[in-house]
Amino acid sequence: MPALSFSASAGEALVLGLATGPVCLATCGPVVVPWLMVQPQGVRLHSRQLGLFLAARLAGYMVFAAAVWLAAAAIPHAWTGRSWLMGGIELLLAAGLVVYAVGWPHRRCVAAKATSSLVQIGDAPPPQPSGALALGFLTGINLCPPFLVAGVRAAQLPSLSASLLFFLFFFAGTVVWFLPFLSLGLVRRTPAVVTVARMVAVLLACWYGFSGVSILIERAIHG
Amino acid sequence: MASRSSALVRPAAFRSVGRSVLLTLPIALWSLVMFTPSLRQAGRDSHIGAVVVMLFMTTLFFLMMRTGETYRWRRIFFVALGFLFPFGFIAALVVQRGTMSIPISRMVSGDTPFCFMVTPSIILPAAFARTIIFPGSILPTASNHASIAIMIGLWFALTLVLGKAWCSYACFFGGIEEGFAAIAKRRRLHRFVTKYGHILRLIPWAILVFVVLVSAAIFEPVYCMWLCPFKAVTEFPAVRNVETAIQMGIFVALFIGLVVVLPFLTKKRTQCGFFCPFGAFQSLFNKIHLFEIRFDREKCVDCALCQTSCPTVALSKESIREGKTLLNCMKCGACVDACKKDAAVWHLKGTPVAVKPERARLLFLYGAWAMATMFGGSILANSVATMLHWLPWK
Repeated sequence: MPALSFSASAGEALVLGLATGPVCLATCGPVVVPWLMVQPQGVRLHSRQLGLFLAARLAGYMVFAAAVWLAAAAIPHAWTGRSWLMGGIELLLAAGLVVYAVGWPHRRCVAAKATSSLVQIGDAPPPQPSGALALGFLTGINLCPPFLVAGVRAAQLPSLSASLLFFLFFFAGTVVWFLPFLSLGLVRRTPAVVTVARMVAVLLACWYGFSGVSILIERAIHG
Repeated sequence: MASRSSALVRPAAFRSVGRSVLLTLPIALWSLVMFTPSLRQAGRDSHIGAVVVMLFMTTLFFLMMRTGETYRWRRIFFVALGFLFPFGFIAALVVQRGTMSIPISRMVSGDTPFCFMVTPSIILPAAFARTIIFPGSILPTASNHASIAIMIGLWFALTLVLGKAWCSYACFFGGIEEGFAAIAKRRRLHRFVTKYGHILRLIPWAILVFVVLVSAAIFEPVYCMWLCPFKAVTEFPAVRNVETAIQMGIFVALFIGLVVVLPFLTKKRTQCGFFCPFGAFQSLFNKIHLFEIRFDREKCVDCALCQTSCPTVALSKESIREGKTLLNCMKCGACVDACKKDAAVWHLKGTPVAVKPERARLLFLYGAWAMATMFGGSILANSVATMLHWLPWK
């Protein structure tokens, strides 16, 4: 019977991941697309970077699975700290995009040597594993709708290991939807493409920053 | 036909009157077909509006044929469209609901006319979730003829044939900034635009990607909700809280900055060239459609008059050297008209460059002006009828 219940739970998680994958894709797209587009061209390099990103995302899932089970509470609606967490994650995502996709700390060194900083805007920076890990983990703990649904279910499971396994299979279901991102490795990296990707990253950082601050202000005002 | 070669001053009459009239006849007939429904409507104002606009469109086309110039006459139509569209639109809103703002309840009921600007944002949610993230109705209703299906169908058919010419002959927003650009006596910030043009023209692409990604992530038409400068002169969400007040502030700031002040300072269409994500989306269709502007390198003297005259920075020294425009060319004809050496020519893909360019121009203009008459003409006619209706002595 436990084996049957395990396979039913795993199947449910896998199907949930597969079914809600497009939402995961849409939610993570604003982070993944500009970040991958500033990387040098090449499917192999993109596979490596995306692999790291997904590994960090899985780590985020596991942390969340453990947290929901240990808290034994349905985080999605009842948990009062949800807004603080969401606002904080969005601010960290904004910072992550600026650091890893726009590459401002890196650009300072480049600009010092260049005649005009705008001339250098199109150069692709060297790939940074820390970027994949940081952005992957942050998207992993970002409270998107499918993630919350999975969180509710995982909190109801009888043991911590069951909760972790539920999220593992849920993650496996969503991963399939990330494979199309590998096609970005085929896009030729002209200075224009990298510049556009950087501009997108700045816009998205502004968006996440605005959204995060709004959530935090609303939470602070309304309690 | 008079020769256009190497004339420093363009000849006053490019074609004879008779020949110009003959070439204008198809457009005159098309206008008649387009405005027949208005002529059948009850009401003297509608009849006058239709006749005035029919004559207006036909006369402008005649002048294009007669003088051989495109940009100057197109601009008259385009600016008229840009300024009369908000007038007619706002008037209709005020009559229907007494205000330009739209309450959320009306939005939810699908009472918002579909705007083509939102098209790129709805593709991903429609593909993945089979959901149209715009509060309009898919099929026309009694109160809303500008439904999603009709607007996208029309736009797609026209864009396939004419490429980004939509932005110069049909978009009812671009004319406002073209008007402000036209009234400025001299070009300011020219050095800045020339120096950073290669960066500025990438911004619409960045906004396009941003809008598409975020719209898919939050299931909202982000451009409409946060970034559309033209909300300030059309329809906007009713200001009820801090969020809608911020939205309204952004709309007004973008409108004043990109549609009024910067076009006046630079004599460029800054919103179209440096901001509009729909324009960037339209640029993709420049790859597949039939008409383009090319440069005859044997005649070109690299004077850069074409580059200076381009209202959207769609030319660079490199592109002119290659004999082409950049992807964001909207075929307004400014560069062709500005070129004193006749090196900039209209071109039909698949034919030799600079051989019978006037034939390519004619073919293009028939399509573009037919679109302008059908789309912009009907808007103009409605606006003229509204103006007549509201005349104080009536």
